[in-house]
Amino acid sequence: MRVDPNLSALLNGGIQSTEQSLNTAVSQLASGQRVQRPSDDPAAAAANLQSLAESSNVDRYTKNGDSVLSQAQMADSALSNVVSELNQAIALGTQGADGSMTTEDRASIAIQVQSILSDVVGQANSTFNGVSLFSGTSAAAPAFVADSTSPTGYSYQGNSGVNSANIGDNLEVNVNVPGDQVFTNASGNVFGSLSGLISALGAGTTDDIGNAVAAVKTALTNVSQQRVLYAGVVNQINAQESFLSKETISLTSQQQSLTGIDMSVAVSNLTQAQIAHSTILAAAAKVLPTSLLDYLK
Amino acid sequence: MIGLSGSLSIATEALGAQTAALEVANNNIANANTPGYSRQVVSLSSEASVQNGTTVDEGVSYQGFTSVRDAVLGMAINGATSDQGSLTAQSKLLTQINTAFAGTTTGIGASLSTLFSDLSALSTNPSDPSARQTVLSDANALVNSFHQGAAVLSSATKAANQQVSSAVAQVNELSQQIASLNGQIASAEANGGDGGTLTDQRDELTTQMAQLIGVSTTQTGGAPTLTTANGSPLVIGDTPYALQVTTAPDGMAHILDGQGNDITDELSGGSIGGAITVRDDTLPALSQQLDSLASQFADAMNSAQAGGYDLNGNPGVAMFAVPATGSAAAGISLSLTTGYQIAISSDGSSGSSGNLKALLAVQSNNLPGGANPTDSYASLVGNVGFAGSQVNSALAATTSSLQQLTSQRDSESGVSIDEETANLIRYQQAYSAAARVISSINDLYTTLMSISLGE
Repeated sequence: MRVDPNLSALLNGGIQSTEQSLNTAVSQLASGQRVQRPSDDPAAAAANLQSLAESSNVDRYTKNGDSVLSQAQMADSALSNVVSELNQAIALGTQGADGSMTTEDRASIAIQVQSILSDVVGQANSTFNGVSLFSGTSAAAPAFVADSTSPTGYSYQGNSGVNSANIGDNLEVNVNVPGDQVFTNASGNVFGSLSGLISALGAGTTDDIGNAVAAVKTALTNVSQQRVLYAGVVNQINAQESFLSKETISLTSQQQSLTGIDMSVAVSNLTQAQIAHSTILAAAAKVLPTSLLDYLK
Repeated sequence: MIGLSGSLSIATEALGAQTAALEVANNNIANANTPGYSRQVVSLSSEASVQNGTTVDEGVSYQGFTSVRDAVLGMAINGATSDQGSLTAQSKLLTQINTAFAGTTTGIGASLSTLFSDLSALSTNPSDPSARQTVLSDANALVNSFHQGAAVLSSATKAANQQVSSAVAQVNELSQQIASLNGQIASAEANGGDGGTLTDQRDELTTQMAQLIGVSTTQTGGAPTLTTANGSPLVIGDTPYALQVTTAPDGMAHILDGQGNDITDELSGGSIGGAITVRDDTLPALSQQLDSLASQFADAMNSAQAGGYDLNGNPGVAMFAVPATGSAAAGISLSLTTGYQIAISSDGSSGSSGNLKALLAVQSNNLPGGANPTDSYASLVGNVGFAGSQVNSALAATTSSLQQLTSQRDSESGVSIDEETANLIRYQQAYSAAARVISSINDLYTTLMSISLGE
């Protein structure tokens, strides 16, 4: 059996293939990526794209959560101010309802309640990034304006719309509570009750003042209830964000395992490729120069 | 009885035969690195005749030389070469596409994510003009990504067409050379000779041809015939049949045989076959997938827009426009001109983000194609990858089988310098010995002459 005398062709093929493996190993190590083109591992490349899209969703849920959170915290702190002001109004009203109060005393209390009312209106017109917090989904700012024709002295400029934001694949939170629901609610009107208290303090009897204080208390209960909505949103977002941050970690590690290299495998591939390459080069160096002619001199 | 003169003629013949053998070895060594060269072996035979009932040896006779080659192996090599040519062409084209679709932070997938991410940011502040403008420029970036994707596929189609045209020109040139060699070989063989080197040259050209187009070699009435794999003649005897390339109205290069029949779809193998496979099978499937993603995505976004109101309280208008004919991915355009037109409001009030839900749902809802936009794109990239990886692994397998076949052929037909060196020494010694015989006979003659002169 005659053998292929063309050793250099055989060796060239071998050298090319070991060089190829060496190249692959080096470029994988250099880039940190096992899949550099979809053809390197089509299934992994496709799954990686899906995972990246999922990561981008998680990022956007987190961003949404952050922005809803700051808005909700802003609204919550406005409502917390309103609650303490209402408590103060109740204390003043109770004081004013005392039979020993003179008309002058009540008038001075009424002035204090008046200033509370203006403060509360200020809180109701709070804005966040230029957007009124309590005007529903209307862009109206301020949410409440003084209106002498209104029984409460203020009229609502917004609407009763509620925006929501995604903070999870199937999880939405409400971004706002409409102002009419908080401040001019039929079951506890903040502005109306405070105005009532002021006029009762000005001209009313002790009983009138007592009733007006009771109305303010009802309004306080309503505001507290509405505030719970924001507290719920804040809790939900905090819980979701800790979930999302875990999700980000697991997605990142998924992407790494799909298309990234396993360092130890890559290094051992490189070592193998190096050994194979130097072996074939050594073989070529030994075999190629050998010829019968060398021995005929 | 031979006598001195008979011996002299045997020795002279021997000198001639060994010289011829040396020439053959010399030629083998000279062509040791010539591609396609088959080593030649000298054929010598001993001469004898019967005279008066006695066998009389009459020395050696030089019978010429023959090339050592295996026609079946040659065909197998042509077949593998043709597969390799096809797969190499496919691999080159598909590698370009794979590189273009390799981006994870760029491309359609990333543009989709950015668009929905920025759209979603509008949920807390729907009337923010700069956030709306961001969404608009994201949508524009997505349109550009679709255009780029379509351009990658169409430039691969163009490259395939160019490859077909230039390869056909090379095929025609080779047909002419092969036909003229066929003529020379036929006249050499008619004079009882071996085509030898000419046959090697023809076989080498045939292998080069196989690299370009799948070929099959047969004999038609004694004339060697070279046809394409589907049977269209390229060369019959010493007549070449040129292929022609015409450009169809759709811009595709079509191949016509010598009779003017369109044989484009019937060709396989070689870089022509490979380019046609990619152009007519692989690329259209990918383009179609990209186009339907573009058009279905545009429809979904447009119908979501139609359900809402823009910042000015007007009903939402279409976000994207897709051409009615032609490639949707190449022709998709952004219809909105300002961020105000994004229909985020569900009730017409400027602060509402109620319709955002419908717009964002486009990302997670299945398109008519059966998957959501992200998954559709991922599956497109997966298909790009599968096409590439299949071809690459087939190419690796074919290359190694071609290497084995070539090595097998070389083991039969390749020139071994060591072997030829050994032969040279053998022939040289035989020559020296024959020369010694002549010198001895010369001595004998001289002796004989001196005897007769002395008397």
